[in-house]
Amino acid sequence: MKKAILYLNQFFGQIGGEDKADFAPVIKEGLVGPATELDKKLNNAQVTHTIICGDNFMGSNQDEAVETILGFLEDKEFDIFFAGPAFQAGRYGNACGVICKAVKEKFGVPVISSMHIENPGVEMFKKDVYIFKGGHSAAKMRKDIKTIAKFGDKLLNNENLLPAEDEGYFPRGIRHQVWLDSNTPASDRVVDMLIKKLNGETFETELPIPKADRVPIASPIKDLSKATIALVNTGGIVPVDNPDRIQSASATRWGRYDISSMERLKSGEFKTIHAGFDPAAADADPNVILPLDALRVYEKEGKIGKVHEYFYSTVGTGTTQAEAARMGKEMSEYLKEANVDGVILVST
Amino acid sequence: MRLELGNFHVKDIVFGEFTSFKDGVLTINKEEALSIVKEDEDITEADLLIVKPGDEVRLVPVKEAIEPRCRVSGGPVFPGVTGELLQVGNGRTHALKECSVLVVGKHWGGFQDGLIDMSGEGAKYTYYSQLKNIVLVADTNEEFEKREQQKKNRALRWAGMRLSEYIGSCVKDLEPEEIETFDLDPVTKRSTDINNLPSMVLVLQPQSQMEESGYNDLNYGWDCNHMVPTFMHPNEVLDGAMISGSFMPCSSKWSTYDFQNFPTIKRLYKEHGKTLNFLGVIMSNLNVALEQKERSAQFVAQLAKSLGADGAIVAEEGYGNPDADFIACIVALEDAGVKTVGLTNECTGRDGASQPLVSLDEKADAIVSCGNVSELIKLPPMKTVVGELQSLARDGLSGGWEGDEKLGSSVKEDGSIIMENNAMFCGDQVVGWSTKTMKDF
Repeated sequence: MKKAILYLNQFFGQIGGEDKADFAPVIKEGLVGPATELDKKLNNAQVTHTIICGDNFMGSNQDEAVETILGFLEDKEFDIFFAGPAFQAGRYGNACGVICKAVKEKFGVPVISSMHIENPGVEMFKKDVYIFKGGHSAAKMRKDIKTIAKFGDKLLNNENLLPAEDEGYFPRGIRHQVWLDSNTPASDRVVDMLIKKLNGETFETELPIPKADRVPIASPIKDLSKATIALVNTGGIVPVDNPDRIQSASATRWGRYDISSMERLKSGEFKTIHAGFDPAAADADPNVILPLDALRVYEKEGKIGKVHEYFYSTVGTGTTQAEAARMGKEMSEYLKEANVDGVILVST
Repeated sequence: MRLELGNFHVKDIVFGEFTSFKDGVLTINKEEALSIVKEDEDITEADLLIVKPGDEVRLVPVKEAIEPRCRVSGGPVFPGVTGELLQVGNGRTHALKECSVLVVGKHWGGFQDGLIDMSGEGAKYTYYSQLKNIVLVADTNEEFEKREQQKKNRALRWAGMRLSEYIGSCVKDLEPEEIETFDLDPVTKRSTDINNLPSMVLVLQPQSQMEESGYNDLNYGWDCNHMVPTFMHPNEVLDGAMISGSFMPCSSKWSTYDFQNFPTIKRLYKEHGKTLNFLGVIMSNLNVALEQKERSAQFVAQLAKSLGADGAIVAEEGYGNPDADFIACIVALEDAGVKTVGLTNECTGRDGASQPLVSLDEKADAIVSCGNVSELIKLPPMKTVVGELQSLARDGLSGGWEGDEKLGSSVKEDGSIIMENNAMFCGDQVVGWSTKTMKDF
């Protein structure tokens, strides 16, 4: 039999009400409060322990609370972790999210919670945790527990998981392709959607446009003549032997290459490995993508302080936004360490 | 324009003495067919195979699919490409249905080439597993691109077109089993009943990202990179005006067969006069420079507006950089007061967590989505491989790789494979076949 552990707040953990909200975390063997119902509904696992923590304690001493609870779990065997249901209780929702995320990161087990749509914990943690659409108050306890137990059983059984809307959890910002049961071809879907849109009827897009993840524009460099400027590109400029084996599309790797002794990038020494555009111009003169030649002139003229010793390169075509963000963060560590003041990011 | 497509339903394909069609059986004289292929001296080796749904066959690298056809009134099936320039979309064309000519590289693949499994789990990823296929497996002397990731595949693609015309010509003088008629009156000469219906245009964005000629889709033989959006009759698309290129990651590609059978055009014909007034096709493109993108969007919006379109469908052949054209075109149309629905695929990454299109805009509030190019696919070994399995890993197919830290090579020793949907031959079927969609998890 597989094993499950449940997290509760002081109220559902039967410690007390608001006056006990500072209660420090404890772990209890066996079933407390809603754990009994969860254990009953869960077919593929037994609930072995209940963790209880006051909502205010988690809110005010989050690091300590998380550390203590992760400590409790270190020597426990468990295959799945539940928290809540938290209904519309904001602090409890936050606590469930915090602890689920931490447990998932540390132990790699599936984590499940349940909250009302208006619980702020949903927005904060739906990307990290399976949060099921729960009731407004504890009156829905049995129903919400049944839902999370059913999904927990599916996960433990390695069953095929349906899309978020069918399973009943809040979408986690993950999109995958699925075949429609109806076998309705795209030609019918697109024409039907257009007819509805033209007739002013309601229609449902298959690609809801997510809110843009905007990065604030950096403040200007005060004195360019003293600034160190780095060149970064997603145009795939690499030494001809591509030593870091950066992929020509859907890149997950990047490289940095020493240009401190070069006036310009020479054709034959550098080339592009980017598969998304005609490489002829860039192979003939790599400076058209990575303008080292122009920057050296600025350096001599004193327009900029100096060119950073390395340039940084990856490939943008087909590269996912998540991989791009990760690579960007990794590059910026080196740039910060070298006190680079400004970066020219060349895309193609 | 009135196009009659005379259909001959192919129930079986065999090799035999005379290339002919009788009682649903297509017979091909292999030697004669191969001599047509070898008319081009750049073809160094060639063989023909017949592959049917359910066969334990994996085809890779697949370069093109074409429906065998002939122009009854004479002239090339693909004017400006396989013969002289002439107007298509009017008159009679005969087609061998439920079959296609597939062109497969004997050894070498590239970014734009794909994979087809004719049976098993992999069959669901491509439309062509459902067809009876005449497979041309060939090699060429095009040394200049043998080791290039991007290949024009000129000799092979043109050989496929010649072969499809040769096979199609066997039904030229026969009476078709059924005739599909595609007839649209000129825009200003339609009945009041039709004029009272909401009117719409279909905006197509065929692949045109390469500056060098030889890679892009062709419109009557003209490189789509070198055109500004223009108004076309849908019959022209169905009747050989457009041929596929050799550039895009393969699941996003529209093959020549896809253009010839464009399901969204056929569905719009069904609605014409009932729920919609189908004005026609605006043929746009997907050029890379920002100014060219903006120019195309501006042309499309103006054409739609001047034609009096109430609505539009915009379909893109590609993802990544072309998403900018796709969204810009939708926004331009919406800004011009044309209610627009988009038709595309997405790139959400192997984990599904990335932004679905490179460019997004809240005005694009109606989109039909046909798949995730980067979905990871594992498939068991297949009894027979036509082409060369290693091409998936070695030659930079858009969904294959030689080495990955976690996944190793795309091609395993036992012949099983791991790949991205990107390399499934025309897998996302954005022309309208796709029964896939995208869901949140």
